[in-house]
Amino acid sequence: MHLYTAFGLNFHSELELTPLKTAEATNPDVRIVLGPVSHTGLDQPHVTKPFCQTAPNQLWLDVPDIARFQVSDGNMIIVDPKPDADPQSVQLFLLGSCTGAIMYQRNRLVIHGNAIRFGHGCVIVAGASGAGKSTLAAAFVKRGYQVLADDLSVIDDHVRVQPSYPQLKIWRDTAKKLDIDTSPLKRIRMQVDKFAFPLHEQFYSEPLPIKAVYILNPHNQPDLRVEEITGMNKFQPLKNQSYRGGYLEGLGLNAQHLTLCASLANQSRVARIIRPNNGFKINELVELIEDDMTPPLTAAKHD
Amino acid sequence: MTSRPNIYWLASYPKSGNTWTRAFIANLTHETAEAVDINALHTGAIASGREWVEAALDFDIDELSHDEIDALRPTAYRWLSERLDAPGHHKIHDAYTFLPNGMPLIPVEATKGALCIVRNPLDVAISFANHNSSSIDQSIGHMADSTYSFCAKSGRLFNQLRQQLLSWSEHVTSWVDAPDINKHLVRYEDMQQSPMETFTQIATFLELPNDKQAISTALAHCKMENLQAQEALSPFREKAANTDTFFRKGIVGDWQQTLTAAQINQVIDDHREVMARFGYLNEHGQPSTLISLKTPTA
Repeated sequence: MHLYTAFGLNFHSELELTPLKTAEATNPDVRIVLGPVSHTGLDQPHVTKPFCQTAPNQLWLDVPDIARFQVSDGNMIIVDPKPDADPQSVQLFLLGSCTGAIMYQRNRLVIHGNAIRFGHGCVIVAGASGAGKSTLAAAFVKRGYQVLADDLSVIDDHVRVQPSYPQLKIWRDTAKKLDIDTSPLKRIRMQVDKFAFPLHEQFYSEPLPIKAVYILNPHNQPDLRVEEITGMNKFQPLKNQSYRGGYLEGLGLNAQHLTLCASLANQSRVARIIRPNNGFKINELVELIEDDMTPPLTAAKHD
Repeated sequence: MTSRPNIYWLASYPKSGNTWTRAFIANLTHETAEAVDINALHTGAIASGREWVEAALDFDIDELSHDEIDALRPTAYRWLSERLDAPGHHKIHDAYTFLPNGMPLIPVEATKGALCIVRNPLDVAISFANHNSSSIDQSIGHMADSTYSFCAKSGRLFNQLRQQLLSWSEHVTSWVDAPDINKHLVRYEDMQQSPMETFTQIATFLELPNDKQAISTALAHCKMENLQAQEALSPFREKAANTDTFFRKGIVGDWQQTLTAAQINQVIDDHREVMARFGYLNEHGQPSTLISLKTPTA
């Protein structure tokens, strides 16, 4: 049995989850066990898709050639690996879709984005797949910033990001752009050109309140700018950045999820970062956020 | 899984009139009198759109290889097709290819029909060079390359899935000769030179309003000069970042002013058989300067 701590929870896992921080013996919040999972899905699914079924407190997932998973009651994941599946692949879906489902079942908000520490708080950088989130997180790390979470930012009921685990996943192109040598890094899966980048002391392991949520919006124009979103308008963009929002309806959590989005909207700034989809410098983007996060100096009075 | 074919694919090699067709469909189905905004051509997601495919899969595909993702796409399209209440019109630049298991990437059970739009490769070469910010010689090279794909890099992720285009000839014949699906072939040149007739056929095939008034209003709204005027006022979201404009010339026979003799010969050498089949070469094997309005047989 492996004992880990991540997302503010203790995990007892029959499978090794290499990127997670190990923990002392404690009562588990979540158990991950190997066992048979139905080939056909849930008994009474509320939402049925080709590879995923959901019902209140239940999620069934069948990832072809990798594993079937059943995620229940916010505290149990049963894993049924496919015959030739490699452990890295199984682990990726455990730490992605299954973790997202567990957190939703525990009534947490999960934003698809990274969390970067800024002083006594953090900022979340969200955006669609391919919008540049992981590149930006790696660029912050190169500048000495600490990271709380990569890809999934789990938000607790005090509207804080709960730290995930000390690793970024970076594409070969990102590494090249940021002069990161990939030769000592392990691939996260043999099938893709993406590497596990250990964060060591640049992982921040305490929960932090959210100061701002930035949503990356690439466009085909040359300008790079921040557009503040205010009032009621913050709500829908936050909802759209929820991780695997498709799970919520079948889990019966749409109403609770709206309440969680509203409390984040009340507590945090929300802004879009409009950026060119090519030909831009990643450093400019980092500096744009640094400037935006710097409180304006109070103008000296001249009488 | 029950079969509910509900998707009309708007299938073409890039720069062959696909966006013009979408603008026409958007205007034809639009209920107000003004032209539809070029940035609101909500005719349906592109087949290679990650978000559209991921909505069906409901798990992350960020860490899957292109081949692994392609293996999932037929299931996604079947499910997306079943969920449509009315026929959808979805652009696609992927060639009609088959997976290692012998099944088509675009499943027959999801496909209500395929509108195959074909344009003279001599003109495509010029527009494609502009789109890719490449030289015309490079674009001629891409069009002859059986391995040519969009978004195929392994070292990063795009918001579009990999699209295997194949060569221009292979792309065109992959769709036009695709087995077991309902198809309608149109040539860009016919869309330009006899718009009422050609677009009425398109609307009829796609089960859209096809009365004279509706067609002529939609065509007026998506005239090239109107699309260009809109783009001058507000940038087109689908434009490539390194190019000035998307709606460029759109004229038939631009190659006669723009390509060198060597470039013309290269395109003909690369695509002779398919060009002849679709009326782009005359009986002497020379490029047709006046494209016959007679629709070639598929």
